[in-house]
Amino acid sequence: MLSRVANILYWTARYLERSENTLRLIDVNAQLVLDLESHRDFNDPRSWEPLVYVSGEEEKFFELYEKPVTEESVVQFLLFDARNPSSLLSCVATARENARCIRDHISSEMWQVLNTLYLRLKKHDYRDYAESGSSEYIDDLKLAIQQIYAVAESMAPRNEAWWFYLLGRYLERADNTSRILDIKYFMILPDRHHVGSVLDVIQWGSVLRSCSGYEAFRSTQRGQLRLENVINYLIRDREFPRSILASVNAADNALAKICANKDTQVHVDAVREINGLREHIEKTDIPALIASGLHEYLDDVQVRVAAVHRAMQDAFVNYDPAKASIV
Amino acid sequence: MADFFSNYDLGGFYDEMFSAPGVPRPHYRRLLERYQNMADRGELLARQKDADQTFINRGVTFTVYSDKSGTEKIFPFDLVPRIIPAAEWNHLEQGLKQRMTALDQFLNDIYSDQRIVNEGIVPRELVESCAHFRKELVGMDLPRHRHVHINGTDLIRDADGIYRVLEDNLRTPSGVSYVLENRQIMKRVFPNLLRHYHVRPVAGYTSDLLDLLNWLAPAHVPEPNVVLLTPGVYNSAYYEHAFLARQMGIDIVEGSDLVIENDRVYMKRTGGLMPVHVIYRRIDDDFLDPTVFRKDSLLGVPGLFEAYRKGNVALTNPIGTGIADDKAVYYYVPKMIEFYLGEEPIIPNVETYLTSDDDERKYILENLPQLVVKSVNEAGGYGMLIGPHSTKKEIKEFAKKIVANPRNFIAQPTLSFSRCPTLCGREMGGRHVDLRPYILNGESVKIVPGGLTRVALRKGSLVVNSSQGGGSKDTWVLADDHGETGTAPPLKPEKVSV
Repeated sequence: MLSRVANILYWTARYLERSENTLRLIDVNAQLVLDLESHRDFNDPRSWEPLVYVSGEEEKFFELYEKPVTEESVVQFLLFDARNPSSLLSCVATARENARCIRDHISSEMWQVLNTLYLRLKKHDYRDYAESGSSEYIDDLKLAIQQIYAVAESMAPRNEAWWFYLLGRYLERADNTSRILDIKYFMILPDRHHVGSVLDVIQWGSVLRSCSGYEAFRSTQRGQLRLENVINYLIRDREFPRSILASVNAADNALAKICANKDTQVHVDAVREINGLREHIEKTDIPALIASGLHEYLDDVQVRVAAVHRAMQDAFVNYDPAKASIV
Repeated sequence: MADFFSNYDLGGFYDEMFSAPGVPRPHYRRLLERYQNMADRGELLARQKDADQTFINRGVTFTVYSDKSGTEKIFPFDLVPRIIPAAEWNHLEQGLKQRMTALDQFLNDIYSDQRIVNEGIVPRELVESCAHFRKELVGMDLPRHRHVHINGTDLIRDADGIYRVLEDNLRTPSGVSYVLENRQIMKRVFPNLLRHYHVRPVAGYTSDLLDLLNWLAPAHVPEPNVVLLTPGVYNSAYYEHAFLARQMGIDIVEGSDLVIENDRVYMKRTGGLMPVHVIYRRIDDDFLDPTVFRKDSLLGVPGLFEAYRKGNVALTNPIGTGIADDKAVYYYVPKMIEFYLGEEPIIPNVETYLTSDDDERKYILENLPQLVVKSVNEAGGYGMLIGPHSTKKEIKEFAKKIVANPRNFIAQPTLSFSRCPTLCGREMGGRHVDLRPYILNGESVKIVPGGLTRVALRKGSLVVNSSQGGGSKDTWVLADDHGETGTAPPLKPEKVSV
């Protein structure tokens, strides 16, 4: 397929996945805050500020909003602010704009669901979120995004376009799950509580729930919600589809399909990068990681995902036509 | 009980549905009954709303350049179809085929022997001063010797119901996707009416187009790769480009997707470069190749013209067809038909005066308040003067432009072109309509039954263009008339004015 189109499909999937995960990020935070509230003032700025850092857009945020950081400013910024390139609205708008460029490669139904979501979201702001309540509002939007996936899943032919779409989706998910995990790092426990306390356990439960992993975790792992177990689950579980390893494996599978029937020269670097990433995660020693710092580890994962992205771009999109083979 | 048509006023125009107040033409009778029998107006209004929403959700939109508020708009769709009886269509089809054949021969002639110029039928300076004359094309051999492949001819009906050609569009006529989409909507909204009426289907257009494109490929290529070249997603007709590419199952490419190596065209794909043999381009000549035409074009492909010249790739439409879009050249089409085919034009032109002709210019300047003056190279309803709707000052300003540049204009009497009932708010109003059939000039000439009926939605307006308040209707060509046409209007004027 056309390089430009493959790239657009890849990015459309990334933006959609990011949209969903932005919702999950807010969801986990809203839940954590609710658990904290008996221990903290209602509007403690420490409650929402971590989200800003995890999103990676802190500079932009402090440029646009005044302190103290409130639920309203963070939610407005992360969901509805068109000036934030990673906001839900921006991601959905970009996904839609991308989809518009490649209308001939996606089903009319998929376009229609995406377009409808965009038209709806465009009219919303914090008041809509506050009115229906965080949980309900976010569940509703998550379902709308999942409807797009479902339509794509049930209609898209399993050709190269599909594999580029999945490659984007799973690389983005690997990155995003690492960010959701990271929020626990920023969410400092109130003084009287510490690692292993009741509140700590509750918080890990919330992180799992925001990844839709709570029940799955419970059914596979006996015993308490312990730090190591949850981290291990979200990083290394092979079966849970939102774990980092499962996401990388799915991306790897998509890449393999793309590479089939292509000259090895084309994709050798991309394959090497993703293999490196997968082995790195498989070999992770969880207790050692906790000792040395979860945050640093997650940062490193994000850097490695970015390296796979660049190698993939060089292989299929930004190659030099003068040196390319004729097919 | 009051229905949609209680206050319908024919306004002294030729009306597509009514021959006299309250008297429907035979082929509209059943439709009118259906609308009058609707239990309440709410039903039709709800259906109209449903249709509008369907267009928005499906993103069937076009882009308006001048509009800052929102770049995407739907092309408003009206639920009252325009119906063309079989006999009437038969006449139009013959006339359009005749016109297409003559235009093709004209372009072929202009870029080779120039017989029509040498014999003094068309003035040489007229042809050579055409903005779209491409000297690079002179003497070139084109695939299958076709100099034009697609024409969207705009037809109107005058006060007597006679169809006339208003203009030809031989560069990149747009709008055919609406023909196909409008029918899809009507199938949803009025399935029974469509069935009862024996309406001829339009869905074959894209297969006919693909056949044409494949047929143009260089002879030695058994399985040609065909692409549609678009200026990109910000082009006003992008929706149509994507729609057609999808329907034909071909790639839609932008200039940056194509590269030229050894005078051959390739597209950049994920696995390497793939040869391209036919390009359905929706980009004007000017922007195709910055090494030959406009140097500042970022949309085109450097080296494309050389590949075309060597016969390694076919372009649809060919380069240089724009001469025949020139409205001063339009004036001569009836003469071309006589010159090349030895026939009388089946569909007449609209009466036209040339500002470049001294006598005619004098007449034009004296009668500007009654005339419509058009710039010869503008489309989309831009750059024109509608005398009766203009102030004295505007007329005076325009007269200066004419005197300063007489080659640049033509004038026509203000036409009272036909009207068709159209849903306006909660009742029907008469609105002016035109018709753009799409003519394919492949192995044989093929025309999708009907075409795009555009309607000027503003009361009294004659401008049907999407960019200026126009909308569209589904066009129903009937498979048979079952004696239902009654006393049809004459199809041709008493005497053909040339």
